[in-house]
Amino acid sequence: MEKLITIEILTGAALLTPLISFLLCLLIPVRFSWVVTIVAPILLLISTSISIYLFVVVPNNTSLLISIEWFHVAQYSFNGNVEINRLSILMMPLVTMISFLVHLYSIGYMVGDNGTKRYFAMLGFFTFSMLGIVLSDNLLMIFIFWELVGFSSYMLIGHWIEKPASASAAKKAFIFNRIGDAGFLIGIMIVWANTQTFDLQEILHMSEIYSWQTAASLCIFCGVIGKSAQFPLFTWLPDAMEGPTPVSALIHAATMVAAGVFLLSRVFPLFTDASLQVVAVVGAATALLAALSALNQFDIKKILAYSTISQLGLMVTAVGVGSANAAMLHLTTHAFFKACLFLGAGSVIYALQIANRQTENFDVQDIRNLGGLRKKLPTTFFTFIIAAASLAGIPFFSGFISKDSIITSIWYWSGNTFSWRWLLLVAIFVVSFITVLYTFRMVWFIFFGKEKQSASAVTEPPWILRVPLLILASASVWFFIAWSPFNPSGWFTTLIGGLPDSILVTSISGGLVLLAFVTAWFVYTYKKTQIKSLRILQNGFDLDIAYQKLVGQSTVQLATVAETVDRKWIDGFIHVAAYAQVSVAHVVLWFDKYIIDSSVNAVAWLAGVAGSFTRSFQAGKIQLYIFWAVAGLIIFLFFILI
Amino acid sequence: MSQYLLSSLIFTPIAAALFVLFIPNEAKKTFRIVTLAISAIQLGLLIFIIHQTKDSTFSSFLLTEKANWFSIDLGTWGVLQAEYFVGIDGLSFSMVTLTVLIMLIAGISSWTIDKNVKGYFILLWILNGAIVGTFVALDFLLFYLFFEFMLLPMYFLIGIWGGPKREYASIKFLLYTIFGSILILIVLIALYLSVQNPDVQDRVVHTFNLIHMTDAANYITGSILNPDKGWMIGAHSARWWAFVLLFIGFAIKLPAVPLHTWLPDAHVEAPTPISVILAALLLKVGAYGLLRIAYPIFPDIATSLSWFVALIGVISIIYGALNALASKDLKRLIAYSSVSHMGFVLLGLASVTTEGVSGAVYQMFSHGIISALLFLIAGVLYDRTQDRMINNYSGLSSKMPMYFTIALIGFFASLGLPGFSGFIAEIMILLGAFRSFSANGLIHESFAIVATAGLILGAAYFLWALQRMFFGPFYIKSEIKPSQLVDLDKREYSMLLPLVLLILVFGIFPQILLDYINPFAQHFTDSVLNAVRTIQNP
Repeated sequence: MEKLITIEILTGAALLTPLISFLLCLLIPVRFSWVVTIVAPILLLISTSISIYLFVVVPNNTSLLISIEWFHVAQYSFNGNVEINRLSILMMPLVTMISFLVHLYSIGYMVGDNGTKRYFAMLGFFTFSMLGIVLSDNLLMIFIFWELVGFSSYMLIGHWIEKPASASAAKKAFIFNRIGDAGFLIGIMIVWANTQTFDLQEILHMSEIYSWQTAASLCIFCGVIGKSAQFPLFTWLPDAMEGPTPVSALIHAATMVAAGVFLLSRVFPLFTDASLQVVAVVGAATALLAALSALNQFDIKKILAYSTISQLGLMVTAVGVGSANAAMLHLTTHAFFKACLFLGAGSVIYALQIANRQTENFDVQDIRNLGGLRKKLPTTFFTFIIAAASLAGIPFFSGFISKDSIITSIWYWSGNTFSWRWLLLVAIFVVSFITVLYTFRMVWFIFFGKEKQSASAVTEPPWILRVPLLILASASVWFFIAWSPFNPSGWFTTLIGGLPDSILVTSISGGLVLLAFVTAWFVYTYKKTQIKSLRILQNGFDLDIAYQKLVGQSTVQLATVAETVDRKWIDGFIHVAAYAQVSVAHVVLWFDKYIIDSSVNAVAWLAGVAGSFTRSFQAGKIQLYIFWAVAGLIIFLFFILI
Repeated sequence: MSQYLLSSLIFTPIAAALFVLFIPNEAKKTFRIVTLAISAIQLGLLIFIIHQTKDSTFSSFLLTEKANWFSIDLGTWGVLQAEYFVGIDGLSFSMVTLTVLIMLIAGISSWTIDKNVKGYFILLWILNGAIVGTFVALDFLLFYLFFEFMLLPMYFLIGIWGGPKREYASIKFLLYTIFGSILILIVLIALYLSVQNPDVQDRVVHTFNLIHMTDAANYITGSILNPDKGWMIGAHSARWWAFVLLFIGFAIKLPAVPLHTWLPDAHVEAPTPISVILAALLLKVGAYGLLRIAYPIFPDIATSLSWFVALIGVISIIYGALNALASKDLKRLIAYSSVSHMGFVLLGLASVTTEGVSGAVYQMFSHGIISALLFLIAGVLYDRTQDRMINNYSGLSSKMPMYFTIALIGFFASLGLPGFSGFIAEIMILLGAFRSFSANGLIHESFAIVATAGLILGAAYFLWALQRMFFGPFYIKSEIKPSQLVDLDKREYSMLLPLVLLILVFGIFPQILLDYINPFAQHFTDSVLNAVRTIQNP
């Protein structure tokens, strides 16, 4: 019992240290901004150490719930429960460790930047939000941290405020995430209307499968499509490369896109068979499209971005075919090798930028401008090639084991008789083939071949950039994850659970990778193929242009219409009503002035005329008096006689 | 003391207005100090109220004060009776709290006023008293009196101290609102003729008491608005018409599309503190009227027309957001965002679920503090450059970093980022609106689903404005001098930081406010749904 309490406190500490780092970074005055480059990594180191300690200490099948009520409305409680289970125990060290290495790397990479305070603050907040997702036992809390992850990514992608491209990339990332989140929110509403609770303990352990679960799980999957950059919302991720490179490493490895796959695994029991099929198809489509796009990029970071999308597609497919464990394994291995690749790309960029300060209009990220860097940047080369091998899924590297688990689960899922599921299996084989091609192409163009002009003055970046690379690269080799290079059983399977394994599939995929390797070798080195690219693949299937035309422009047009309605119609109606009233008032005024007033005046005038007429009778003329007297007499007689 | 708490809250500023008639116009500082003093007294009273009511539940009315205002014996027609009757429940309490806080901030923001200072502050104080009065009045005539009393100061405050098109904006504001008031007045008279005071048994005593009006038993047999056998006007019952008139009257104030076009003009032309009061408090009066009067008095009609209320709400959300997207003027953008956010209040209200109504009241409070922050943010820039056009600025973050930070917080709070108070309100409204169909069958789930599009559009227009004004290379229109762009000063911090703090506190610890709102919301939904049941099956 005593031990459990310490676990609770330690979990809280691991969760809150990044938040403390965020607050401290904000509070430290600007003139001491160098302090944050020391404080933030130390705090993250503390968080990482606690997480690793928990990882080692907490028994494997623990499911420990810390109940915290956040607020309540009527009889309904909205809880902020924290759950420590096998998934969170796995994710905590993963997130904090990668975040710590990125912090460390950033000390060197972000030297001389004006916004160091803001940068490190948001790194801390990013980590905190991600840990929040990992630890929450409540769908609403997951959504809250999910949104906060989106906010952190907005701030970090847009870190270089003066760059117009980074501002629009940040906006795009946030809005694309919001579109997915709107779906997620509808899912949350469906869950609420049917269960009146958000506690995953209750939602995931229902006795039967209800029909609303299909709709709810598909809506939640919308959130995953946004955050994990799945088809059709993946285009924000390549644009997000406008942010600083260490941020890209963080986004791609641990804190953002991983959240989607994690969520799928977390709420896996909510998914029905029908929705899982959708998940599998979306995942496979994403994996294939992104792999093709990656093959046609020239920007190092964009190649890596599309490769992430493709790998995420694989993980999503794994969940779709019912093997959330395989997805989590690939998430883990991917986190390390992809972080290593990004940080490696970062040190290439860093080294070339320093070396080519004088050269203008030189794009250091374009692989056509690079070449032969293996001699100039030995550490970077060494680590990069290990991570790349892991990405390509070459045997003896961690990526091989995890990709093999995914392929095996799809193999079992697709069954023995032919069905549409076989197409999916083929697609995944194609993806793993292309993965080797684009990885080889990238490595070849950066490190091999002839040394280009740009490489002449290049020197190895400082140790603070190289240490994280070495750590990440060493975690990309098979023994990090399993005992045998061809079988996934190891600490991971003990913690998370069993994985499908088949010698046949392992041999097939191993053979396929080797075949792809040979093909790549032949295409890029022996035949010395000129680098070419298909424009449509380079632009991510022109989805962006389609969105811009269909959604963006129509929304702006709709907004203009709304504005016109407001100004012309509604206000126009008000104005017409007002003018009508004023016009009526003018008519009334005219009526008042000319009809009523004139008739009053006419009566007065008539009275005056009559008055002056009768007055004239009494002007003192005797003859007239006699005349009237006689006339009166005559009238009188007239009356009497008749 | 404790029995006159609410009256003191109302009449402190009004008494100050009388007192200050004896101070010359030149003593500008005196007016500022008196304003602060009024707010300090009100804040003190508020704390005292919190202390007094800490053991009571907020579902019924507390701290009631009742006095016979006038009663005229009309022989066989009965007795005409009006009362001075005030009291607070959870709804009133949260609105009064909001009023006191916003009036304090608006008072500080009014320091920049130079023209006819005395007149300005006297009008401000009258406005203050009238708003508090509206939120605590429990007699319909008293409510109506305070309601009308708000218009006149507002008219002059926009018409005299406003921007270049102030005459147009102020007359538009006045005509719109008076039109709404007339509709409310018609219902007021009809209700008055229909309701009798149940406390007097031997003869008919007509009353304006809002609580009596909610009980179907108090309606005189054969009267216009009797729920059983009311009059018919055309195809609909008189009660139907009465609800529709009240709804239009309050929807103008809210403002709901398509009765909203006074708002952007009034906001753009009004001076900053008046914009703040307008957005934070006056709009809430419309929502308050629906919650306090329209729904409880006509529950049968209200629930049968809930789909229409929700429809208007959703249209306001989407239409307001689209207009905000098209706005080129920062203040206009914020004004339209208000239309969009107040649409959520209608949606939550129409659901008549506990979480939906709690969310609606929470949104009223939360929008109060967030829109106040946004208008102050717009005011900061306008004070420096007299230019609010979004496209005339770019890359401001390099010149005014702290201003950028506050604007970032304000914009993200308004687009509903978790951690800020708006999120709590909107999520509860959406949950309630979605559950309504299965819980009480009032509104369809699709309303809540369509409303989520408002959240996406909200992100779009705020982030686009942020991108255009604060990101990118530094640029300003040639008429503006870069030297004008100084960062925030101490006075501005003293207004902005408390608001930021409040938004965060109510976003992270919602229970503080929900303790007051929940009992009200629960009482509201129970009584409305019960009343419908009793009217339908007497």
